[in-house]
Amino acid sequence: MRLSLIFLGTLIFSPLVIFAQQNINVSGVISDEFGMPLPGATVIEVGTVNGVSTDFDGNYTIEVLEGATLEFSYVGYEPQTVLASENPINISLMPANELEEVVVVAYGTQSKQSIVGSVAVISESDIQSQPATTITQAIQGSVPGINVVNTGGVPGTNPTIRIRGVGSINAEAAPLVIVDGAPFNGNLNNIAQEQVASISVLKDASSTALYGSRGANGVIIVTTKSGKRASPTTISINSVYGNSNMATPMHDLLGIDDYTQFFWEAYRNNELYENGLSPDAAAVAASSNLISALGYNPYEVPEPVNNQGVLTGNAAWDTDWKKAILNDNALKIQHGLSISGGSEKTTFYLGSNYLKEEGQVKSTYFERFATRLNVDTDVNDYIKSGLNLSYSTSKQNTPNQSGSSYSNSIQWIYTVPSYYPLYKRNSDGTLFKDSSDAYLLDYGNNNSQIVNGIRPALSNENGLGAVMNNEILKSRTYLSMNGYIKIDILPELNFKSNIFYERATLDNFRYTHNKYGAASSVQGRVSQDRDFYTTLNAIQTLNYSKSFGSHNFTADAIFESYRFEQNLLEAQGTGYLPGVKVLNGSTVPESVGGSINEERILSAISRFSYNYDNTYFAEVSYRRDGSTKFSKDTRWGNFYSFGGSWIASNETFIDDIEWIDYLKLKFSYGELGNNRDIGFFPYLQVFDTGYNQLDNTGVISSEFVDPNLTWEKTALYNFGTEFTLFEGKLEGGIEYYSKESIDLIYDKPLALSTGNESIKTNVGAIKNYGVEFSFNSMVVSQEDLTVNLGINFSFDRNKITNLTQEEFINGSKKWKVGKSLYDFFIRESAGVDPEDGYQMWYKDVETNQGVKTGERITTKEYGEATRYYMDKSSLPKMLGGFNANVSYKKFDLSALFNFSFGSYVYDSVYASLMSGFESPGRAGHPDLVNRWQAPGDQTNVPLFLNGQNDFNSRSSRFLFKNNYIRLRGVNLGYTFDETWMEKYQVQGLRVYFQGDNIFTYQSHKGIDPEQALSGLTNYRSHQMKTFSLGMNIQL
Amino acid sequence: MKKLYFIFWVTINISLIGCEKNFLDQPRPTESVNSSVIFESRDGAEAFMSGILRVSRSKFERDDSGGLYSMYFARVVKGNDLILGYQWYLFDYENDNREPTYVRTTFSWEFPYSMINQLNLFIDGVKNSSSLSEAEKDEFLGQGYAMRAFYYFQLSLEFQHTYSYDPSLPAPPIYEEPALEGRPMSTMSELYEFILSDLNTAVQTTPQNRINKSYINRNVAYAILARVHQVMGNWQEAANAAAIAKQGYDLNSSEYALGFDDMNAKEWIWAMPQRSDQTNYFLIAPHSFTDNVNDGYGLAFWNVEFTSLFTQTDVRNTFVDLYNVGNGDQFFARSSSKFTFAFSSDIPIIRSPEMILIEIEAKARLGNETEASSLLLELQQNRDPNAQASGNTGSALIEEILLERRKELYGEMGVEWFDAKRLRRGITRTGNHRVGSSANLVPDDKKFFLKIPQKEIDTNTNIDDSINSNR
Repeated sequence: MRLSLIFLGTLIFSPLVIFAQQNINVSGVISDEFGMPLPGATVIEVGTVNGVSTDFDGNYTIEVLEGATLEFSYVGYEPQTVLASENPINISLMPANELEEVVVVAYGTQSKQSIVGSVAVISESDIQSQPATTITQAIQGSVPGINVVNTGGVPGTNPTIRIRGVGSINAEAAPLVIVDGAPFNGNLNNIAQEQVASISVLKDASSTALYGSRGANGVIIVTTKSGKRASPTTISINSVYGNSNMATPMHDLLGIDDYTQFFWEAYRNNELYENGLSPDAAAVAASSNLISALGYNPYEVPEPVNNQGVLTGNAAWDTDWKKAILNDNALKIQHGLSISGGSEKTTFYLGSNYLKEEGQVKSTYFERFATRLNVDTDVNDYIKSGLNLSYSTSKQNTPNQSGSSYSNSIQWIYTVPSYYPLYKRNSDGTLFKDSSDAYLLDYGNNNSQIVNGIRPALSNENGLGAVMNNEILKSRTYLSMNGYIKIDILPELNFKSNIFYERATLDNFRYTHNKYGAASSVQGRVSQDRDFYTTLNAIQTLNYSKSFGSHNFTADAIFESYRFEQNLLEAQGTGYLPGVKVLNGSTVPESVGGSINEERILSAISRFSYNYDNTYFAEVSYRRDGSTKFSKDTRWGNFYSFGGSWIASNETFIDDIEWIDYLKLKFSYGELGNNRDIGFFPYLQVFDTGYNQLDNTGVISSEFVDPNLTWEKTALYNFGTEFTLFEGKLEGGIEYYSKESIDLIYDKPLALSTGNESIKTNVGAIKNYGVEFSFNSMVVSQEDLTVNLGINFSFDRNKITNLTQEEFINGSKKWKVGKSLYDFFIRESAGVDPEDGYQMWYKDVETNQGVKTGERITTKEYGEATRYYMDKSSLPKMLGGFNANVSYKKFDLSALFNFSFGSYVYDSVYASLMSGFESPGRAGHPDLVNRWQAPGDQTNVPLFLNGQNDFNSRSSRFLFKNNYIRLRGVNLGYTFDETWMEKYQVQGLRVYFQGDNIFTYQSHKGIDPEQALSGLTNYRSHQMKTFSLGMNIQL
Repeated sequence: MKKLYFIFWVTINISLIGCEKNFLDQPRPTESVNSSVIFESRDGAEAFMSGILRVSRSKFERDDSGGLYSMYFARVVKGNDLILGYQWYLFDYENDNREPTYVRTTFSWEFPYSMINQLNLFIDGVKNSSSLSEAEKDEFLGQGYAMRAFYYFQLSLEFQHTYSYDPSLPAPPIYEEPALEGRPMSTMSELYEFILSDLNTAVQTTPQNRINKSYINRNVAYAILARVHQVMGNWQEAANAAAIAKQGYDLNSSEYALGFDDMNAKEWIWAMPQRSDQTNYFLIAPHSFTDNVNDGYGLAFWNVEFTSLFTQTDVRNTFVDLYNVGNGDQFFARSSSKFTFAFSSDIPIIRSPEMILIEIEAKARLGNETEASSLLLELQQNRDPNAQASGNTGSALIEEILLERRKELYGEMGVEWFDAKRLRRGITRTGNHRVGSSANLVPDDKKFFLKIPQKEIDTNTNIDDSINSNR
């Protein structure tokens, strides 16, 4: 009650307070030690609540009583006080013991200097300079050692994030996400980047140990904005309009005439080389069977290719499926509004953000509305309390654009050649009109005519129809409340209690058309899932800090309990009237389902840190977790870490070295656990319900399980240094890490004949290790011009260190001690035999006893060919980012590149386009033109063969290097500083151009360079490049 | 007020999180049940059997490798009677789909073995149940043994020459109980011994009553046994088993024209049911593929040489010229209306006419040609009132019986392939086939069986790459 009154009071009265003061006008610029303007710095008239913040250029103007004292302050900087005067007061703030900079860490904050582990921070100014739509975009390329992969171009989809390699195989390998202190179980895209104050990425054991059983893969801590104490209310409005197109081109496709002639050749070759017909007979057979094989005839003649292989007709259509299905100039809009401020005792921040973004495939969009209110207040001298409220809703219409469903638009483009029409045709090739004279989309299932009736590939579907007639709509609602109360029991002892409640709702609605496509025979289908995810987390913290002379101690004792409930409901029915898309309209219910599952974790945590004279630091953390995911005997786990650091530059012998401003060495070690993403009760062998046989309840046995399944454990080492050199000109850090995960939770493959594909058990160990670098330099720092450049990169390696059996073959990889999880193990192409045009592979020569002689020969039997390690991995050898910030007078420019080198991709999409007409009615790539045609031809494309063959089966033929550099974001702005602005009480105005993904260099074209970690393409849509114009006004 | 606020906070904290001692013990699985529920009551064991039957008709891999129906249809398209358009099962139709990495190969191995694993768990659980009576145990065990034998029989057909070719050849591994370790290959004679032992127990203990025709009763057990003996050439045993299997499932020719989509048809002994809420959509074969009128996959047609063997008055003559080709020899010249496709169509597994024909064939081979001929005529006249006795004897009679099997069972269980394989004959493509001689099978052709899947070799320490050399 009191809290809300204060909030309301602040909101209403604070502007009045400002206008009540009238005397002199003080203005000036606040900058940092290098002369860079400090936006958002605070100017307060001492002893009052009168205050302002600086704008983008560090400018401020404040009205104060003559003779008043002004205090200038900025987070991380030493405040200064100056007597007010009418002359401009330009202030250069010095870092408050530079490293007093406060960083958000596990269960609290620490000064940057005292951190013994590896914590990377993306600050508010970094976030502001790249107005990305989601926080994950802000991370990519900004922090060394993080691999962010956006698979597919559906806006609003979470990317894959890996911190320091891949530390788990079957359990979750993604980092834990903490928002304002509590574990976050929603979709990260529901948080507007604009409302985020900072992102901390915790990478080593000492920084993540307090998250114990969930910290092994790193932690991302998101802290949302709050108001500033004793500052006037600021209103900020931001609007962006953008226009998007595919960032990288898709693979090219064959046109209809080439397609038709090539198919004839494939048919002829099969008759000639496989079925033993004479060349003439084979050609005649190809000409006469062409149309019946392809099912359609776009040419007006019955045999469009004569027995010389020459095309004799003109095509009535040449469908451009890309154009039909993909968006041209997709829209992107974002509007944000925030109000923030604070009195002496209470601060508040209120932010609202609207985003609408369209994707690559028509009708794809993501629309989000996110609101957040953060309030903190001093209840009295010793009690503080605060509440963060967040509500966000989003809608995402996502026609399938990855995977193998018939309706996947990208698969469609790459499967159905231009040979097949968009609209329904009569047998003679003319357009079909229905009774109302309208054209209908061709679903390729018209079994009333044998020509132009049934399409051999993806029949009963139409790529455009699937997008326009069907709906796949995901609506998410996300509500969270995060409240705390903090009591100072003694000056050195405080107690904090924190309760977090989150409710995420996902409504997944799918409508399949009642007249066309997969559900037409049952008059349409609606299926709808409505899922509730509820998280309840309570943390009780006791914190003690005490200093004796140069000895400084801090100790925390924390008790945490975590509950997560998943409540799922689904229903599906068929039989709809046209236009009816709600379950109520169903005449035949198909299925209902639902389940409730719960996970709990109970934890006791402690942390002890000590430093001597702010020069020698030591920290020890311990956490004990109990998890409901394991049996009573195996559910408790102990996790710990310790670390230390030494600020060498505080020593006198380094003090004398002029070019070293700051130098820190650090070390940490810890053991953490992982129990995420392994289901709710993975240790129980049970019978699964849902297999009813007509009216009889039916169950089947689940896969075999290991009842003693327990935590994955990860041991992490970190060594590093941080430095500032040459009077602040160069800042940087270098870190080496090694993390070994043991007792991996893995679905160990079983012999197929046991009837179980695998058993979930603790098997083997993997190690990730690497080096990370980050450098930042103020290259130019003049009055009008500043140039700041930064680069960060890492070299990461992944190695299997232990397996319970010699090796596993896992799809395109083989797992063996000493190799990576991601080393391709596939057959090796030996090219095309110039004599007969058949694809060849290598095969080891074996003696009769089965011993390898070391020699190898070529074979045309794919099944016989030997699989080899290709010494190529789907993980990049090096990845990182490069950023530049330039400001010149009122212009500012920032650019962020991210890059990835040394990974390989198996392009199965390209492989399918290179099938060489094995099956009729499948699209082809223009590279097919280089196929073998006659004995002696030297080429890497085998002959066309319309019969089952392995030419394009998985081999090194389709394994490509996948390096890329992407200009992820570029932002060019101009800040107005005109007199007319004051008249309208505009405090700041900036207009800017923003470009996302506008440039991409890639070594293998035709795909989006960001593919799944496994390095296999899968008909995914591409990311978009967006050109936007935006405006930011502060009132 | 401030104190109140604090007390309020503590209250919330306690009520939300609780001080429950068993905080970590409360969550329990809700979507599943544990084995004590399953094997300690009749209802539980029945539910497990129902689940196993349901899985046998689910989507296992993809559209041409769904369940038992996909195994059957892959055999159908290998013959000479059906002509497949460009459609799923394409490479089965070309008789070119047996390499270790192919989906067909993996599916035909993995699917039966996954059924066998469930059945082994079923048999194990029932045997060790402390609550089921001995009589109840016998009932359930009979069903379990019959079905396990059925799937081992499918494996024997798919992964080796026929039994009579050489019983000492390697055969798929035998698992008598649930196992985590891969077992070595068995031999054909071991495998058939195991199958017969399961079936001989099953025919004694499986009851006559059942919930519906998708479950196993004594007739089904005998029907499976009849097929096994037919393959082995044990004619007396085959005749006996077939004669018992058909009892109670009299011929009813009026059902032949009704679309083969209802398991309550008199002649059906064992079936896979579907319902609009328990459907495999477009996957179900043969209905989705041979029905060129309703909205399935379609594009399966019939060889004009085969369709011309039927008289106009034969109820089994379901062939129509859907695309008006007249006397043309296009591959799509003849469609059939035998199977009507809908999401709720039931699928036959075994029908009584097949049992009658096994009995007839067995009697003929045992020298009892008179009885064989009269039983054959009885069937022929049921199907075609104008049918006349042929007067055939000796090998001509055998050929007539084999033709009758094709006429009766086309599209259902791959009768041509089944007969050609067990009798060590070939299959020669004739007539208006789209893919002709290149898909021919010679007697004892290796194309009658599949290679061992690479996935098995990769995961089973007892089977290595050499298993596929010369396969």
